[in-house]
Amino acid sequence: MMHDLIYVYCILNNPVELIRDIDSMGLKSLVFDNFSVIVKTVSESEFSEENLKRNLSDIQWLESNVRDHLAVINRFMESNTLIPFNFGTIYQSTESLKKFITDYSDSLKENFLHVGGKEEWAVKIYCDRKSLSDRIDELSTDAAALEEQIMASSPGKAFLLKRKKADLIENETDRLCKHYGQKYYDEFKILSESTCLNNLLPKELTGRMDTMIFNGAFLVSKNKVSDFKSTAELLRTKYGSICFIIEITGPWPPFSFISIKEKK
Amino acid sequence: MHDNIIDRSKDITILELLDRVLNKGVILSGDIVITVADIDMIYLGVKLMLSSVETMEQLKSGRSIVEK
Repeated sequence: MMHDLIYVYCILNNPVELIRDIDSMGLKSLVFDNFSVIVKTVSESEFSEENLKRNLSDIQWLESNVRDHLAVINRFMESNTLIPFNFGTIYQSTESLKKFITDYSDSLKENFLHVGGKEEWAVKIYCDRKSLSDRIDELSTDAAALEEQIMASSPGKAFLLKRKKADLIENETDRLCKHYGQKYYDEFKILSESTCLNNLLPKELTGRMDTMIFNGAFLVSKNKVSDFKSTAELLRTKYGSICFIIEITGPWPPFSFISIKEKK
Repeated sequence: MHDNIIDRSKDITILELLDRVLNKGVILSGDIVITVADIDMIYLGVKLMLSSVETMEQLKSGRSIVEK
């Protein structure tokens, strides 16, 4: 027999009564202690362990549900501090959800303090390595010196030096990516309360021609958000000509800055 | 007015969304959760989708050359 499951979007740190139009979307606010948990009742036919796994391989289902997950959290983010749940977190019963909230209440409180009054901003930096290596003589003194040597050499020696230069270009491009990546990171870090590095995504996933060299999240106090954005704009003008592309998105729910520890 | 990312979420790629809602393993606490293995599978699906879009485009451009 099928029974209903509880899909969790987020936790708010104050008891919230839901107004009717939200109710009509099937959302409910369950109040435990002083927390409200925003949930929706879902069917086993869609979200049981087995059915969820099957649905995850359906890109259309995934996309519409992920967008829904974020849209709901965003609604509450505008006027509340919240802890977002990962997409697809399901409880079998109200009791088991309540047990989680009670067991982890201290940790939840710490997390609310950590993210309160702040926003998560995501920064991705890409490098057009081809264009960068085409301009390597301007950007690297080592490459420029070797190029000079090649120009002054006999054809035979020049041939060998050119092979050497190919390796040098590869290394120098790596070095410049690290150098500028660090510069970007430092500029954003001083405006942030906390930072988090995420995995670099390969080209097959980004579908882009250029290479992702940085993927990070920054927790920024609300009063520093405009500085954060103008810094991005400034960096875009400053280093854009050196083949780096910067993308910032936000504010996101603070997915990257929640860490829940079990009560000892 | 808040220029919130989610209001513009139609412009946000599925990849960017997944990068936020899955990658961090924020709360692995529910009775049913998406595991690391599931996440790998999801990314594999996205990869396949992207490569099939690419293949379609290649086919399309290939065909247009033939038509000429």
